[in-house]
Amino acid sequence: MIEVTALTKRYGRTTAVDGLTFTAPPGTVTGFLGPNGAGKSTTMRLIVGLERPTSGTATVDGRPYAELAAPLHDVGVMLDARSAHPGRTAFRHLLGLARTHGIPRSRVDEVIATTGLETVAHRRAGTFSLGMGQRLGIAGALLGDPGTLILDEPVNGLDPDGVLWVRGLVRELAAEGRTVLLSSHLMHELALCADRVVVIGRGRLLADATVAELEDGGSLEDAYLQLTAGAVQYRGGAR
Amino acid sequence: MTAPTLPRVVAAEWTKLAGLRGPALVAVATVLVSGLLTFAAANASSVDPGFDPLDSLTAGLSLAQVGPLVLGVLVGTGEFSSGTFRATFTAVPRRLPVLAGQTVVTAAAALATAVLAVGAAVAGLLPAARSRGIPLELTTHGTPQVLAGMVAFLVGLALFGLAVGALLRRPTPAFVAVLAVALVLPIALMLATDVAAGPTTAPAGDPAALQSAVNTLVTLLPSGAGALLATPPGAGGVEGAPDLGPWGGGLVLAAWVLVPLAAAAARLRGRDLT
Amino acid sequence: MGPTTVPGNASTTPRAPGRTGVTLGRVVAAEWTKLAGLRSTWWVVVGTVGTTAALAWVLGLFARSGDGRTAASLVVAGHLLAQLGPLTLGALVGAGEHSAGTATTTYTAVPRRLPVLVAQGVVTTVVTLAAAVAAVAASALVTAGTRATAGTALDLADGETVRVLAGFVLDLTGVALLGLGLGALLRRPAAALVSATLLLVVVDHLLATNPGQAADTARALLPGAGTRLLLDDAGLAALDAASLGPHLGAWGGGLVLGAWVAGVLAVAAYRLRRGDVT
Ligand SMILES: Nc1ncnc2c1ncn2[C@@H]1O[C@H](COP(=O)(O)OP(=O)(O)O)[C@@H](O)[C@H]1O
Ligand SMILES: [Mg+2]
Repeated sequence: MIEVTALTKRYGRTTAVDGLTFTAPPGTVTGFLGPNGAGKSTTMRLIVGLERPTSGTATVDGRPYAELAAPLHDVGVMLDARSAHPGRTAFRHLLGLARTHGIPRSRVDEVIATTGLETVAHRRAGTFSLGMGQRLGIAGALLGDPGTLILDEPVNGLDPDGVLWVRGLVRELAAEGRTVLLSSHLMHELALCADRVVVIGRGRLLADATVAELEDGGSLEDAYLQLTAGAVQYRGGAR
Repeated sequence: MTAPTLPRVVAAEWTKLAGLRGPALVAVATVLVSGLLTFAAANASSVDPGFDPLDSLTAGLSLAQVGPLVLGVLVGTGEFSSGTFRATFTAVPRRLPVLAGQTVVTAAAALATAVLAVGAAVAGLLPAARSRGIPLELTTHGTPQVLAGMVAFLVGLALFGLAVGALLRRPTPAFVAVLAVALVLPIALMLATDVAAGPTTAPAGDPAALQSAVNTLVTLLPSGAGALLATPPGAGGVEGAPDLGPWGGGLVLAAWVLVPLAAAAARLRGRDLT
Repeated sequence: MGPTTVPGNASTTPRAPGRTGVTLGRVVAAEWTKLAGLRSTWWVVVGTVGTTAALAWVLGLFARSGDGRTAASLVVAGHLLAQLGPLTLGALVGAGEHSAGTATTTYTAVPRRLPVLVAQGVVTTVVTLAAAVAAVAASALVTAGTRATAGTALDLADGETVRVLAGFVLDLTGVALLGLGLGALLRRPAAALVSATLLLVVVDHLLATNPGQAADTARALLPGAGTRLLLDDAGLAALDAASLGPHLGAWGGGLVLGAWVAGVLAVAAYRLRRGDVT
């Protein structure tokens, strides 16, 4: 269970997250939706304690992330497609991560197999395509077999096969009773795999509802465009 | 549709450089360091009986030289360390104009920085000169040549940094290389002779031979050669080293720029861009 | 399927018992895995040993019998250039997390953050100690001829000799930790490298060429004072005789370097602890 309460983060004059409150309950996939620059990634970084909030709180299973004794076993995190050092092999990257929690080498091999990276595990991460980097990030998130997963745009750069795989994976993880928070700027992606959707724009909460409630007879796309109409900061013009 | 001509590439490189905060900070720091050190040196020696403010003119160079060096490496490695090289070299597939553009832009930025730094050095002499009532004669006794040499020295070091950066591409090895060759090695060599020529030296050794060999080496390194540019004509070289004069020093420094630059060009033409 | 299997089995219980958390020992093991998995680490080690020995050999060519230089000082003659290696290692370890984008992964695994800095200090120290000892050994080998020419021999039972050789190793370790602190503080390897080179070598040299009470005092208080650890007794005496600043002796110089390391690491720890990681 992830609980975000009145969370605010300012960078100088930019307010990236603005009084955001929502919960991601266990056993569901909570979609986190918003246009580019809405504050999704910032919110996730705040939840996992990489950044300090200007005000407000974020907790996982009732505790601030930084107080977790074994965070990898509680929360699996994938925030950046390129979160491995380009000079290190995928295996080394995961092994280094595993060692912080005394997770055995065999578990590293397991997540490498789960994410389909066996053939490239001993290649340096700098030579990876975006999709391979994404898979490596997911492997890192799965490493501790956590009860909560936080995935930032996990399908970015994946091939159609990989997209299907991620959808199946998150559904399965939620079915096992885990909490899954998954961000995307693609509404149809979330329509396919999320139970609930939290929609934000310019750091503010726009909607927090089930997919069915949001669709309300129409398409999720229409609902999304309506919700974010006033909150899109970067929009392509006609040409 | 127009092709990427050299002036356009230069303009593009300039836009990129001017948009970065690092190089701007480096330039400002260089000017400040040059002015302040010269001021401090002139003030410290202004009590000496035979005080000549112009003796302190180059006092800030040993520290101010670091700025252009850093600037050059930042430009030379910037494309590759930030990953923008993909966009850059797809826009200019012939590649070499990019290196030429970077060279021009680095030279221009370093020239501007160097002129300001030398100006700051001259300004730094004024209080000491005034306190002793000595007028600052900038147009006689080869001083114009020294001033020009100081500027050329700083620009040359920036281009040396650029060349090594473009050749090695990754910032850390490039910085280690230029710091070692231009800053640390000459000092290491000079210190070694100090120790050998120190008070514990017995006459049995041949300190003069050691001195001249080491001084020759130092003179042939980029900063030693460049420093010759900023010595008044006829001042004579460093003791024991061949007297190359300002022009000879300039040529040695030019070689330190051209050799790695040519290697960088060959690497850019012939190899993969990763 | 066991409790550590993901996914595919509905019987897998999230957060199964028997799982243990982050300990300092584990973070050290993790940092070691990461450091050993980078080629740059081994290049730095090889480069340090190679350049130290090469410079010692070149400078040894000028040694003459009766020039008063001790065998130990001939061995450590390459130290000024040797410092660049540990400095680079420290800067890469300290800034690498941030410049290569791995900070996200590292600090979500260890959200208390400070154990990472401590572990980085431990692995940097270990690698530098090994590299420095290897550099001493290599320099001792290549300067064997020099020592014969100079008519001195390396006597490892002699206190001064041991102090100079151990001082070399200690100085390089301090320099590596200074690089680590500056890297962690500035978060860019290049910035750390340049600022440390300025502090250790360039400013020191500038002050040395403009001696005076203020300059000599400043010199004694800069981290370059650590090189006193590896000056032989005659060198120290000559330095102190010429200096109007405080006479620190060998260990005093080491303490100055240690204070710099502690200070810079403390500021870096403060930034790491209080600020944003990304
Ligand atoms: N480290 C930072 N410094 C300054 N501004 C930032 C930083 N990180 C994010 N921002 C700003 O915060 C806003 C939200 O960004 P982000 O959370 O990345 O959005 P999203 O992930 O929804 O696309 C953007 O306007 C972005 O420019
Ligand atoms: Mg984002």
